[in-house]
Amino acid sequence: MSTKFIKSKFWVEDIKEEMMAEVPISVVEPWQKDKELKYVGKPESRKDAYDKVSGTAEYTFDKSFSQIAVAKTLRSPYPNAVIKKIDVSEAIKNKNVLGILTPDNCKDNDWYSGTSKLLDKKVRYNGDEIACIVAETEQDAEEALRLIKIEYEILPHVTDLEKAKLDTAAKINDHELKPREYNRGNLEEGLKEADIIVEDKFSTSVAVHNPLEPHCSVVKWDGEKLLVFDSTQGIWAVRDTVASQLGIPASNVRVIKKYMGGGFGGKLECGKYTVMAALLSKKIGRPVKIVLDRKEMNQAVGNRPSSVQELKIGAKKDGSITAISHNAYGTAGAFPGSAGCSWPARSLYKCPNMKLVDTTYYINAGKDRPFRAPGHVQGTFAFESIIDEAAEKLGMDPIEFRVKNFTAVDPDWNGPYTSKLLREAYIAGADKIRWKENRKKAGFGGGIVKTGYGMASQIWWGGGAPPSYAILKLNWDGSAELVSGTQDIGTGTYTILAQIVAEVLEIPTRKINVVLGDTGVCPFGAMSGGSMTAPSVGPAARDAAEKMLSKLKSAAAAILELSEDKLEYSEGVFSSKDDRSKTADFSKLFGHFREGVLVTQGAREANPEGYAINTFGAQFAKVDVNTLTGKVCVKHVVAAHDIGRVLNRKTLNNQFHGGIMMGLGFALLEERVIDNYTGKLLTTNLLDYKLPTIIETPEIDVIIVSEEDNKVNNIGAKGIGEPAMIPTAGAIANAVYNAIGVRIKDLPITPDKVLNALASKNN
Amino acid sequence: MKNFKYIQPKSLSEVKKYFSDNHSVLYAGGTDVLGLVKKEVYNYENMIDLKSVPDLDKVEEVKGKGLKIGALVKISEIAESEIIKNKYTALSDAAQKVASPQIRNMATLGGNICQRPRCWYYRDDYACLRKDGDYCYAEEGENKYHAVIGGSPCFIVHPSDTAVALMALDAVFNIFDGNAEREVPISEFFVQPDEDVYLENILKPYEVLTSVFIPEQKNKVSRFIKFAERDVWDFAMASVAVKVEKNGNKITGGKIILGGVAPIPWYDEKINKGISGLTLDEKSIDEFSKLALQDAEPLSKNGYKITLARNLIKMILSEI
Ligand SMILES: Cc1cc2nc3c(=O)[nH]c(=O)nc-3n(C[C@H](O)[C@H](O)[C@H](O)COP(=O)(O)OP(=O)(O)OC[C@H]3O[C@@H](n4cnc5c(N)ncnc54)[C@H](O)[C@@H]3O)c2cc1C
Ligand code: SF4
Repeated sequence: MSTKFIKSKFWVEDIKEEMMAEVPISVVEPWQKDKELKYVGKPESRKDAYDKVSGTAEYTFDKSFSQIAVAKTLRSPYPNAVIKKIDVSEAIKNKNVLGILTPDNCKDNDWYSGTSKLLDKKVRYNGDEIACIVAETEQDAEEALRLIKIEYEILPHVTDLEKAKLDTAAKINDHELKPREYNRGNLEEGLKEADIIVEDKFSTSVAVHNPLEPHCSVVKWDGEKLLVFDSTQGIWAVRDTVASQLGIPASNVRVIKKYMGGGFGGKLECGKYTVMAALLSKKIGRPVKIVLDRKEMNQAVGNRPSSVQELKIGAKKDGSITAISHNAYGTAGAFPGSAGCSWPARSLYKCPNMKLVDTTYYINAGKDRPFRAPGHVQGTFAFESIIDEAAEKLGMDPIEFRVKNFTAVDPDWNGPYTSKLLREAYIAGADKIRWKENRKKAGFGGGIVKTGYGMASQIWWGGGAPPSYAILKLNWDGSAELVSGTQDIGTGTYTILAQIVAEVLEIPTRKINVVLGDTGVCPFGAMSGGSMTAPSVGPAARDAAEKMLSKLKSAAAAILELSEDKLEYSEGVFSSKDDRSKTADFSKLFGHFREGVLVTQGAREANPEGYAINTFGAQFAKVDVNTLTGKVCVKHVVAAHDIGRVLNRKTLNNQFHGGIMMGLGFALLEERVIDNYTGKLLTTNLLDYKLPTIIETPEIDVIIVSEEDNKVNNIGAKGIGEPAMIPTAGAIANAVYNAIGVRIKDLPITPDKVLNALASKNN
Repeated sequence: MKNFKYIQPKSLSEVKKYFSDNHSVLYAGGTDVLGLVKKEVYNYENMIDLKSVPDLDKVEEVKGKGLKIGALVKISEIAESEIIKNKYTALSDAAQKVASPQIRNMATLGGNICQRPRCWYYRDDYACLRKDGDYCYAEEGENKYHAVIGGSPCFIVHPSDTAVALMALDAVFNIFDGNAEREVPISEFFVQPDEDVYLENILKPYEVLTSVFIPEQKNKVSRFIKFAERDVWDFAMASVAVKVEKNGNKITGGKIILGGVAPIPWYDEKINKGISGLTLDEKSIDEFSKLALQDAEPLSKNGYKITLARNLIKMILSEI
């Protein structure tokens, strides 16, 4: 047997997962450092670039069928209420209204860890789902929703985090949210040992994913079988949730996702809308499409929780940190979720004594979902801010202070890292932005526009893990098809997988078709989250390709009547090392086979035992702060990271540019605003929820300090989607302080806060 | 969104007949009014498209007198016009700062002046004062973007950038009431909420702003400066338009209008009294700017606007 089962343990999005995985027993050797690769690492354009740019790429949003009907959801206008009566009689009068779901149809459909239903008579936030109507057109459905008459018993609500902490706050959910506490050494002792102590309080706003493509599904029944097109980062999660919600075998549900306009974590789980569309479609016997509008996307499909972080750090005169205390609280909405953000404090530096507490409170608002490096983005901002404060108090350069507290082992359990080139990242980044020459004392200099430099570090998981599988089919003409149940959510997965196969089989990427995102035809592949995809699926693809090469080699040996070690392979042709005239190319090989296709299956190998697998990096920001308007303008960001091997320079840069812009938005612009009096959401569109635009884009330099991390997996790569965003906000915030000499501790750093801070500094 | 009828009148005099009841609205570029119906702020039954009325989209120089800009002229055309840039710079500056390139290509000058407020309560399903409710949600709610002066009982800020510039330039509006055209100076066009909380200007629903006349600005220089959180696709947190006559580095006369701080483009008495005679040096400008918004009554979250507006005055005067 060439595979075995293991219990695979890995970190994904702040949660330690355990999954049974089938892994290869004999592991493919990683490419060595000096091996020149022909495809992997090259800046290949995306395989789907033409389709996307020309508009021929069909997104879920574009999908349609003849006879398709459209569903729309009725959402609660109140933040906390009980529905006493629902009268749908007027709504269903119109002949164009085809079907309706209300809480009465959904009694068995548990949602939110069993604390609610798919449609519930208790509504806990403005936007909570109440009913869903399917009609001939979107307009018919919308009009019908308006005709549903509901009698509510309105309950007191709380949307303000500080009020939610009070014992007197309205009860929102019976499920108890327990604080998460982590202790190492003895905090009090550590603080006693310290020569200096800095203490501060930071906060961050709720941020919303807002991908360009809305959350949407198109569903169609074929007898007992259900076809689901979904804009999702996890086809298996959607399949399994839909199957269990509908009480049908998983094998009857086929989920397909081909092109996607972004997710950022907000599409990792199955949405209520998909299940509602499937139920309605079954009811009316027609395909159904459901698309959320921008308001619904801001209300109901996840967010990054808010945080208030009280931090205290003790350090000795020589700069060594003796103690860290991090007391954080935040809200993840009205249902069980987590606002935890203490991981950076726990893992970035060496520190013998610490106490970290994360507490989550309910408010009457939409539930959180993983959002590009959950917890780490807000945690890193605050922690790297106080690290700068400590460095300043000690009179040390921020980088020097960080290097002083560098840890070569995972401080949690003292295990070694597979690789950690954080110091190299500091050097490369500082060099590029000319840190030493450019960075002045905080608030230095006069003038209206003040320039500042800041930096922050990053740690994340992202090494990938089994299980992930890939099937490779090689055709008689030397073209191949790689099939895996992961998805390309816009990151370039189609392209890098083709590059990996091309590297092994030495055939051009244009001859490799990559099929992803279809539970009906693909073996299981990683979800597109946690920076897991490339380092989980990539090695499986390589394993499949290597198996194919062995298969071909053995065939060639048989046909040429030579032993395998006498054969050489290059670009589709086997030849005898001793006699160059003896060759066998694909057509020759396939001419001797009965089948026109050869098939192999590859699997992601087990992670190495006894190592911590992480990504590291540092980002450096140059900002201009206009002291008359309070505007922060980011001029330059240098990102220097250790992420193992670069698989494709173009898609890597894309990820970094996107991540940095998202970090910039989080630092300077984005904020979900709820009106506390009514408990309703105010930022329901992209004018009021301010995403950064192209005009805010700074000069960006991406430096990769790692060549490969061959302990991690057979392609030596780690994930980059999340690392790209984690340190940006911290670097910008530190740069703003460096520019104006006052620290803005509450994100986003908007002009009003800067003006107010400057005013109080001058008084 | 509810269904509506789309009507293309062939002449100005035809417009009024579609307003026999209260369910019609004028439609120019549609960038604002479509948003209003989509969000169901209003459920208009008829959209009367002014684009089908001829001759409303002309820019005409009237020799020695000034410039007449048709209400249907696109904001992008104004932003690109050399004449406007050279002679009526404040308007050119303002047009360039409106929204985003895509919107400027659709939006018209008349629509920009007559666009409805952006208060986020008003634009969503809150039955606030301006929508016939009995409560202003912003007054004690999320009012970071709201008015610091002239607000009560409704604290919107006027959203138009061009209106601020046009006020500094003493524009005159030509209005067609269904029978005849009349001239209204811009200073009499906008309406404060204490006068009428439902409308932002004097127009009756069927009245058409046909053109804007800007008198010749001999010996005068004008500028407009806007500040928003985003440099594009965002409304002003505050803006300033100035028009001055200078003798050396002394201002001999002029006007300053503030945007983003009040429900109408704001003429601040104190600062306008003080402008004549101002010497354009740093210290005098600094002192002068403090005259602005002395009577402001900021709400809980918008006090920064006073500093911001004063700083913008400093910035614009030091560049003029
Ligand atoms: C995302 C976004 C950002 C924006 N940012 C800015 C900004 O930064 N600065 C800024 O100034 N504006 C901004 N706007 C507003 C935009 O400039 C206006 O929507 C536009 O100018 C309106 O012009 P329109 O021709 O499309 O008007 P329409 O939408 O057609 O009409 C707007 C209103 O004016 C009335 N109206 C139109 N023409 C006439 C007329 N001739 N006579 C009488 N009434 C008339 C209509 O009945 C309607 O009530 C923004 C809009 C959006 C959507
Ligand atoms: S400011 Fe005006 S428009 Fe906004 S909520 Fe108050 S009354 Fe309504």
